[in-house]
Amino acid sequence: MKKKTVSLFLVLSLALTALTGCGQKKDDQPQTVPATVPATQAQGETEAAGGESQPAGDVAQEMVFVLNNEPDTIDPTITNNSFATPFLINCFEGLVTYDENGEVVPGNAESWDINDDLTVFTFHLREGLKWSDGSPLTANDYVYAALRVLTPATGAQYVNMISDYVVNGQEYYEGTASAEDVGIKAVDDNTLEFTLKAPCPYFVDLVSMWVYFPVQEATVEANGDKWTTTAESYIGNGPFKVTQITPGESYVLEKNENYWDAANVQLEKLTYRYILDVSTALTAYENGEVDGVRTIPSSDLARLKAENAGVVVAPSYGTVYYDINCSKEPYNDPLVRKALNLAIDREALINNVAQVEGEPAYSFYAPGYVVDGKDLTEGRPNFDLSPTADVEAAKAALAEAGYPEGEGFPTIQLSFYADDNVKKIAEAIKEMWEQNLGITVEVSSAEWAVFYDAVQNGNYEVAAMGWSADYVNPMSFLPLLYTDDVTNNSFYSNPDYDAIVDQVKVETDPSKFGELVKQADELVSADYPMLNLYYKSNTYLIKDYIEGVYMTSSSNIYFKNAKVLAK
Amino acid sequence: MVRYFIKRLGMMLIALFLIILVTFVIMHSIPGGPFTSDRNVSKEVEEALNEKYHLNDPLPKQFFDYVGNLLHGDFGPSYRFTGKTVNDFIANGFPVSAKLGGVTILFVILASIPMGILAAIKNGKWQDMLVMAVATIGVTIPSFVIASILIYIFSFRMGALPSFGLDSWKGYVLPVITLGGYSISYLARQMRSSLLEVMGQDYIRTARAKGLSEPKIIIRHALRNAMIPVITVLGPTVANLLTGSFVVEKIFAVPGLGVHFVNSVTMRDYTTIMGVTIFYATFLLAMVFIVDVFYCLIDPRIKYD
Repeated sequence: MKKKTVSLFLVLSLALTALTGCGQKKDDQPQTVPATVPATQAQGETEAAGGESQPAGDVAQEMVFVLNNEPDTIDPTITNNSFATPFLINCFEGLVTYDENGEVVPGNAESWDINDDLTVFTFHLREGLKWSDGSPLTANDYVYAALRVLTPATGAQYVNMISDYVVNGQEYYEGTASAEDVGIKAVDDNTLEFTLKAPCPYFVDLVSMWVYFPVQEATVEANGDKWTTTAESYIGNGPFKVTQITPGESYVLEKNENYWDAANVQLEKLTYRYILDVSTALTAYENGEVDGVRTIPSSDLARLKAENAGVVVAPSYGTVYYDINCSKEPYNDPLVRKALNLAIDREALINNVAQVEGEPAYSFYAPGYVVDGKDLTEGRPNFDLSPTADVEAAKAALAEAGYPEGEGFPTIQLSFYADDNVKKIAEAIKEMWEQNLGITVEVSSAEWAVFYDAVQNGNYEVAAMGWSADYVNPMSFLPLLYTDDVTNNSFYSNPDYDAIVDQVKVETDPSKFGELVKQADELVSADYPMLNLYYKSNTYLIKDYIEGVYMTSSSNIYFKNAKVLAK
Repeated sequence: MVRYFIKRLGMMLIALFLIILVTFVIMHSIPGGPFTSDRNVSKEVEEALNEKYHLNDPLPKQFFDYVGNLLHGDFGPSYRFTGKTVNDFIANGFPVSAKLGGVTILFVILASIPMGILAAIKNGKWQDMLVMAVATIGVTIPSFVIASILIYIFSFRMGALPSFGLDSWKGYVLPVITLGGYSISYLARQMRSSLLEVMGQDYIRTARAKGLSEPKIIIRHALRNAMIPVITVLGPTVANLLTGSFVVEKIFAVPGLGVHFVNSVTMRDYTTIMGVTIFYATFLLAMVFIVDVFYCLIDPRIKYD
């Protein structure tokens, strides 16, 4: 058991920050730092039962993984909460899944056919698929789950991920179409057919999302909303199954022998332990009480990396930015927005203020989507921005907008939500703007619910925000600036951009698709609709005696290939 | 006296009703709702959720529906944690918090009262100074700081105790000290000052004049009276400790009730806010009531007419 010398002061200040934050990191996405912290822990020396598939022989294939946030539910059809992903991804499997290189690979479906105009997707399920209770899993289960998502009474939150694409999905949700009309059909037990409203080149990416996962009709109908709350009724089809639930404390997952690829699953037991306080989780990890931590307190990141303590940096398909209310004076002037963008020292924000892993961002569209072997953001211009602030250019832009030396510029209201890291960044931005532009900035914070309510209603000027893609495709970003989209909190509107996005939506040729995305991105980013800060990375801790754990750019962590080596 | 207690009981019910009403009104008047924080939720999904949980009904109807269910012991479903009810939260969380709190109460009583007595007897001497110094530290240093120091020393440096969880008896040590720190200090000071005050009274002089030994005077005569202010404080303290602390439960990863007090508000989980508030209020009122009964037992001079 190794003990690191950390000054007492450090631990204290850490606890203080953790507390003032009080874990209000709301739901996953619109926040700057991922808030879940899984950690793993080898549980004693006890031999795992039924260990004949273990290559390491004498090492128990068991680990404990700490999570820092409780998801609202672990029902894949209901939730849109990323805190649920450690359960959804490891207890379920969709038609397709991701491998450790972040590429789509067959999951429950062994192959699929797509018609020429990309509107009919036919998936062929593997033979002999089973639920974790041993009952057969058929294409009908997929249909049942999708219809459950499209039923308002269930309170499903990711409805639009299906209803926007599938024929009559929206109509079924509104009650004007019957189940037979919905474009999701079980042709036979092993064939599932989706008929789409419009061509969708990225539909295969989309069905990797948990909202397209199957759920077992029998258990859902028998237990209602409570089917996720007991180990017996939480039936899945993934590499692991839940065998024990201690509310608020831990979930024990064990290898699911009925998983189609069970022969290749080596981990026998995976315990998720909730430790809401990130500094406690880190102490537990450093003490060897747990084997990994999903969220690393930012003030410790540099030290842990230097000590080779097992920091894993996984690129994430997401951006941290500030929304600028483009519908308000003077922010409706692109020059003003340009000046605000130029006056920010992104490098300092990333390395000194937020102390996170990240790349300076000049556009809202993050790197991470590859067409023809090239990331779409490769060779993208910087839109006159640089990692550090360009004070002269910023002043010039502001002068051009009619505010020389910041004269006559109204006080900027900079709002953020109660979170420690977000606060640090907001204060740094205030300072940068005041110093570099000679304007005054007033910062104000509110807890998330109040803050977000104001942002959605346009009652703000500049507001802290962020975005993590739901699925790995540019289309998970582009709507952010599409006129009147529900996620367009900048209230930006540009008919030219909208027109290109409309084309992107229906473009079937991958390279043309890529070109259009680039075009849209470059058009809109040259208009500075937001204050982009940095592209996110996910970081988590895992001990070096565990291998095979991987995280995709949509922040999903996979334990399917995990293996415990000798310590 | 029986009439007095019946009256007290009636007052308690009225107080409880007012607490429910005020909490309900305040809760609904703060901005945001249970579903506003999900960024992807479109208007129509929010509508569907409001429909599912009857949040579209007029507020008075919602209130009386709620009170109606409450009379059947039903705190309602959690709006934020699908498939879970507030009864589940209380049924799962309270035993954990109460167990930790119970051990803490025992620890607090066994530590604070002797400390206070010692300080009072040795008034002005080094023992008094020591107890008061410790008590001052306990009152002034916030529990999360104490927790961090304890974790640093006992888990991180020495590796003697686990840094989280209540998996074995060892897990209780640090949370109990953290949780009890403030109460011990507060009660020890209370004990000391009230005992000092009592010791200066005439009847103690009489007892001394009678030739009674000092321990007898303190135990038989002084303590009885000196306990009254202590017990007054002890009532709410017991209610606080048994229903769990947000800070301690968060730092030590204890799956108790305390965490719901804060998280339910930030998440606008209406039913959970109501549920834990009512639960805590009932507990607190009951403890205050019990304290009143205790007064009669301790001090025969107190009579309720």
